This record gives sequence, C-alpha cells and structure tokens, in this order.
Amino acid sequence: MKHTLKFIFSLSLLFSMFLGFAQDVPEISKNKDTIVAKKPQTEKTVKTVKPEIQEAPKDSVVKTDRYGLRVGVDLYKLTRGLYDKDYKGIEFVGDWRLTKKYYIAAELGYEDKTTEDDRLTSSANGTYIKAGFDYNFYQNWLDMENLITIGMRGGFSTFSQELINYKIYNSNPYWGELPPINEGQKYSGLMATWIEVAMGLKAQVFRNVFVGFGVQLKLLATNKEPNNFENLYIPGFNRTYDGSFGIGFNYTVSYFIPIYKKKTMASETAKKEEPKKK
Amino acid sequence: MKKLISLLLLFTFGLSSCEKDDICDANTPTTPRLVITFYDIANPTKTKNVSNLKVIGDGMEQGIVFNESLAVDDPLRYVTSGSSVMIPLKINDNTTTFKFIYNSLSETPTTINTDVIKFNYTTQNVYVSRACGFKTIFQLTNVAPFVHTDPDGDTFWMTEVDLENPNIELENETHIKVYF
Repeated sequence: MKHTLKFIFSLSLLFSMFLGFAQDVPEISKNKDTIVAKKPQTEKTVKTVKPEIQEAPKDSVVKTDRYGLRVGVDLYKLTRGLYDKDYKGIEFVGDWRLTKKYYIAAELGYEDKTTEDDRLTSSANGTYIKAGFDYNFYQNWLDMENLITIGMRGGFSTFSQELINYKIYNSNPYWGELPPINEGQKYSGLMATWIEVAMGLKAQVFRNVFVGFGVQLKLLATNKEPNNFENLYIPGFNRTYDGSFGIGFNYTVSYFIPIYKKKTMASETAKKEEPKKK
Repeated sequence: MKKLISLLLLFTFGLSSCEKDDICDANTPTTPRLVITFYDIANPTKTKNVSNLKVIGDGMEQGIVFNESLAVDDPLRYVTSGSSVMIPLKINDNTTTFKFIYNSLSETPTTINTDVIKFNYTTQNVYVSRACGFKTIFQLTNVAPFVHTDPDGDTFWMTEVDLENPNIELENETHIKVYF
C-alpha cells in the first residue's frame, strides 16, 4: 500500500510537470488554425512541392513537416516472454499524423498471463485494442521529428480466464489443511473497457526509425466479471487489484512511412519560442 | 530531452518494485463453523450454559479447542462452559460426526454423558478475494439434516435438538438449537 501511494504521488508529479508544458495553448491553436486552413490544398502542395522548395532557401525559414503513418512493436512485451515463463504478449502500435501537433494513435495487442498467488493460480488471455490521440508538445529544431506526447485512449479487451487451482480459506483447520483444489475452470467471453492517459516520447534514431517509451495510467470503465470469480488480470489493462488504477508501459521501435509533406513558416514560431525554451 | 528520458526510465524501474503483499484480512468472513446454541428446556427462550462440554470429531484424538490461550496439555483448553459452541465441519465431505461430552472433566464417570450428532450437508465453494482465495459454505440437507444418537446407552443429555437455519454461511447466527 505504501508503495502504491508513493507511486501515485510520483506519477501525479510527473503529470504536473507535463501540464506545465501543456500550457502554451495560444501558440498551438494558432498553428492548428493555419494548418486547418491549408488542409484542402494538401494535394496541390504535394504536386507543387518542387517550386516551393526552390523558394525555401531564400527565406531559410520554411519548415517541412512530414506526415504519414508510423507503425511499430512493443519490445517490452515481446521480450518479457523470454524471461517470464508466465507471460506471453505482443503489442503493435501505430499512429497517423493528423495535424502539426495531433496524432491519431492506436495499439493492438495480445496477452497471456498466469498469476500465481498464495491462495489461487489463474491465467488470463485475450486481445485488446486501444485507440485515441496523442498531442506532441515537444518543439523540435528545424529538421528534427522527435515527440513528447500526452494523449488519451479508450481501451477494449475481450478475453478469457482460467482458474487453475485454489485453496479454501479455513481459519479453523481442525480437520487438517487441505491441498489446493485443481479446478481448471475456464471463464470465457469476458469483456472490459477502460480509459487511459498516455504519456510517451519517441526519438528518431535513424532516418524514419523511432525508439519510444510510454507510460499509461488506466481507469476501468466496465468489467464483465465471471460468476463466482474475479477478473484478476485484463489483457491490455494489467492487473485489476492494487487500487482502482491500472498501469502499463511500453518500449517501442517503430518505422515512419512518410506519405506527404507540408510546409509551415517556421520563422515566426521559431523566433517566438527561442527565448522561452532552451 | 535526455533528462526526461532518464526520468522516465527511472520511473519504470520504480514501477516494477511496487508489488503489494496481500494478506487475507481476519475480519473477512471465510469458511464458517456450525453454531450451536444451548437453551434451557424448562425455559426455552433463555440460553443455558453447558458444563465442561468437550466436542470431539469422529476419528480425532483431540477435542475442538475452545480456549486458544491455554497450554496444549491443559484439559481446560478443550472444554467450554458457555452457552454456544462453534464447530468446524469437514470441507471435503458431506457428513461430519461429533461426540458431545457433557461434564467431560468430572471425576465420577456416571455424571459424564456423551451424545453423538452426525450432520449431513452439501458444500459449495465461493470466491472471496485474491488474498483469501475461496471459502466453503454448507447447507444442511432437507432430509435428515442431523442424526442424534446416544452411543453409551445412558439417556440423552440433549433433550431436544432443533434445526434453526440450514444455511451455514456466517458465524454470527445460530444454526442448531439444543435444549437440555
């Protein structure tokens, strides 16, 4: 309990730090407006890329933003299966750059986890999908494409649980302690939904290759429990005990597939922001 | 940027160390015992204290412990002089037989009186929590929930045995009433 509390504190501290960053809203909305205004012209700009690039060096302030799809895999879940015999899992991540700062993001995964407790052993396995958005508040230098994001997701998991064995709790063992009962009861067709706040960072290590790290704080919304048992582990959500929040994190490697480019006048934004940020 | 990365990494390692050690709370209702309350046959609404009652399960050497604080070799550890007893039923069986020895510590054997009750029931395992696991609850059968016999051939010390509540789920209620 003490650990949990400490952990929640540190998490909220972390959050508050991000909130501090997230305050420069006016600039964001400004950027967004210009992007939205430009949007219908997207295809034209792609076609007329070349002449504009020729103009760029004269100004030396035009910034090219690349838009496209980023797909990747969570290395943490993938490698955990190697050293944890009770765990198998995989998660694919993807995001699509919608505007300068906003990304549509989704994760699709599968987990199979056996939980051994003092009094019962159970396993849960199933698939999950999470979808939402990321907001990048990291101000890149001209040609960099790193991200520090905060976002929201809605999560949905369909899974089954198996009660492998359990012990009867008897505080008066006059007739002797009984061995664990091997049940092997399977509860399928279980479902859960949750919302989560996701924080992450992605750094471009090679051209189009990103390494990322993310932490998610989850809050369970609906949970279809089995009869005479409990959902101890929900794929994608993590364990359900330990307070009302679920925690997750991932360590991703992803590849960015550029689809089109967009130019923004970097001059104004850069000049405005330089004195503010290091 | 670098600072942030190291902070986040630190944070993850912190995560892996918060493992909560769950212990089943002693106040959680788990597997219940059968509660027998003794009443005065002359005045059936009033409870009556038994005298040095010892309860031994069939096939067991020792009686049920009623005074946990006393030493293992103290005979008083296994007797009660209260007006109710709580006795544990067998979880992995559908019958449990107990010997109820009245005046068990008496020097004169003629004052010692033994009655035997066999309880017939069905069991059901109910999920409690991750920390406690499961508990077993009992239901005394409709037909012959208990069989009252007198092995030593003297008279029954229990004049009347009544079924009060066949569902043994909690310990804060009486399941069997005994009048004597």
